[in-house]
Amino acid sequence: MEDQKTMKDIHLEERVVSDHAPRITARGVNVHYGENHALKDVDVDILSGTVTAFIGPSGCGKSTFLRCLNRMNDTVANARVTGQILLDGEDIYDKRVDPVQLRAKVGMVFQKPNPFPKSIYDNVAYGPKIHGLTRNKAELDGIVESCLRKAALWNEVKDRLTAPGTGLSGGQQQRLCIARAIATSPEVLLMDEPCSALDPIATAQVEELIDELRASFSVVIVTHSMQQAARVSQKTAFFHLGHLVEYGETGQIFTNPRDPRTESYITGRIG
Amino acid sequence: MAGAFGPPPFPFCRKLPLMTVLLLLSVILVIAGAGFFLGRGRALSRVSGNVRALHSLPGYYGWHAAIMTAMPALGILLVWLIAQPIVLERQVLPYLPADIVADSTERTLAMADVRRVAAGLDMAVSTGAMTEDEAGMIRTELTDVRSRLASVGVALGSDVKRETLQAAQAYRKSFGAAVLWRGIVVLAVALAGLALALRLTEPDFRARNRGEAVMLGVLITASSIAILTTVGIIWSMLSESLNFFSQYPASEFFFGLTWSPNFRGGSDLGFIPLLWGTMYISLVAMIVAVPLGLFTAIYLAEYASPRARAWIKPVIEIIAGIPTVVFGLFALVTVGPFLRDWFAEPFGFGNSGSSVMTAGLVIGILNIPFISSLADDIINSVPQSLRDGSYGLGATKSETVRQVILPAALPGIVGAVLLAASRAIGETMIVTMGAGAAAKLSLNPFDAMTTMTVKIVGQLTGDTDFNSPETLVAFALGITLFVITLGLNVFALWIVRKYREQYE
Repeated sequence: MEDQKTMKDIHLEERVVSDHAPRITARGVNVHYGENHALKDVDVDILSGTVTAFIGPSGCGKSTFLRCLNRMNDTVANARVTGQILLDGEDIYDKRVDPVQLRAKVGMVFQKPNPFPKSIYDNVAYGPKIHGLTRNKAELDGIVESCLRKAALWNEVKDRLTAPGTGLSGGQQQRLCIARAIATSPEVLLMDEPCSALDPIATAQVEELIDELRASFSVVIVTHSMQQAARVSQKTAFFHLGHLVEYGETGQIFTNPRDPRTESYITGRIG
Repeated sequence: MAGAFGPPPFPFCRKLPLMTVLLLLSVILVIAGAGFFLGRGRALSRVSGNVRALHSLPGYYGWHAAIMTAMPALGILLVWLIAQPIVLERQVLPYLPADIVADSTERTLAMADVRRVAAGLDMAVSTGAMTEDEAGMIRTELTDVRSRLASVGVALGSDVKRETLQAAQAYRKSFGAAVLWRGIVVLAVALAGLALALRLTEPDFRARNRGEAVMLGVLITASSIAILTTVGIIWSMLSESLNFFSQYPASEFFFGLTWSPNFRGGSDLGFIPLLWGTMYISLVAMIVAVPLGLFTAIYLAEYASPRARAWIKPVIEIIAGIPTVVFGLFALVTVGPFLRDWFAEPFGFGNSGSSVMTAGLVIGILNIPFISSLADDIINSVPQSLRDGSYGLGATKSETVRQVILPAALPGIVGAVLLAASRAIGETMIVTMGAGAAAKLSLNPFDAMTTMTVKIVGQLTGDTDFNSPETLVAFALGITLFVITLGLNVFALWIVRKYREQYE
């Protein structure tokens, strides 16, 4: 049964992704919020077809770094980002890059489900509509259906697509937000603690979904749950006090960490 | 009965002990203040200074004693003040002729006379022109009371009748007694309350919870006063309106197309032209105010830097602080002539400076800050997570505003707009000065028209018989206006409630 696999707490098969090409290359990234130096000299390669987990204690800079990858920090008034982040070889902080275009390629799912106060259909159709991805209603219907199917939500909502998205349960809302994010066919999907507001069953559904999404997107997930990182990711980065302490294969990070701080964190001594 | 509560009783009672209400009030407050310290001291002494053995903090026992002293006493005083004129009138009435007592208007007038003569006697006594005994004994048969009182500065319109003087003397006597007893009763109640409170002050007495209960009572009283006032307004409007409809057919009022009051009678009082004027002017006002106010709110909430916001918002809100009569002047001397010279006359819409357009524009400007500040609050309360969600999908700022924030804020905005509309409908001063006074059914926005509010003022301030339909129509207009704006407000609140998104 399929359940057998998902019920296991940690499964370490199919970890080897080192032959995948890097999608995002970050070098020497520093972030300041006013006087506060939130992120210090971070170098990371995000590989294609891979789920990368960012772990670390609260305030360690992992969400900050995630928000650098689609320039969401631009909307924070006093944030300053330096260093280089390349998406498919192109510097995303280059003046010629429109952050709005970039965010269509690097989608984002937030910690708290935030469906728009619109119908389920319109929530998913929002991205394709503003980016003009479809030529007619039929194509749009197709995108909405396929995204809702990918997000494992179609069967639950297909009869009430016109109902408001805010009326769904928490887990359904988060899957709706994932469907909404993948509807713009991004190359990279950023997830900022996507399961922290969900119950265990909804969490399992979302985790299963993340594993399936890996086939089409690079997924970067910030999580506080080390079990979750171990379950869904192939690569793991451990952040501490604004530094990227260790980055490597998930199996290696959890079974054989090189840095003593990583070991302390995953064994529960700091955090 | 309007005069029954009469002139304030202070001037009559200078010579009596414990007299003025003001003095009585201060005495009660002093006793209550003493009660505070007594209650607190007693609570502390019961536990010999060990505060932890008390159920409540010592201060609560003090407050309990103070409240027990003041509240019942003040309550009795209030009831007494309301009842006293009614009781006094009843005591004095037997002195007056029966035919006067039978007619309510005449009775009111006669009682006013009685009170005036009594006040004159008081004045005479207090200035020393008369002794207390003289004041109680003078007779119209022996003295010219009118000239006697005139000599101490109390002018009476006509000679004092015998029965009026007798009534006034009886009134003074009863009044003196009433004031004396009032003082005694009220102070006795205050002291009894204090004694009871002190007896209750034991370590396990829940003074704190008593305080809560009193606070709850205060809150309920405060809210019921507003409600009772509304009920009173409706009641008074309704009774006069019914009076109007008994003299003028309701169907002609509600469906009549002509408004031409004629103070000699035989008026046409159809309210349709006034309703049309009101609605037309409000429509123009809303066409001006809604987009401007909304755009202002969007700019302030979504685009303005904190520095820009810090000075733009107060400046806009200054508009809300300008008295509407000043806006009326602006309409009269600036906007009206400008519209007439540059739009109405060149385009052949007429030559009136007062017009629907003038009043509508100015009311619209008046309503901009109202809409903008309400909408600004509403837009700000849309959670940041929705903005992030939209930006995260690659939407621009204006796409986010149009497609996410405004739909989320829409119920609140609709509510704000409807509230603004009911303000526009109820506006009087600007319309009086800007739109003219001619009731007209016309589509031309540069015609002078008028509204219900203007006509309410006009009909009531006229120098006519109060009981004619021409005056009473103001009440019918008032209650109709009230129903319209009430309906709008209820509708606005209903929309806001029904469609409000529940964000945590």
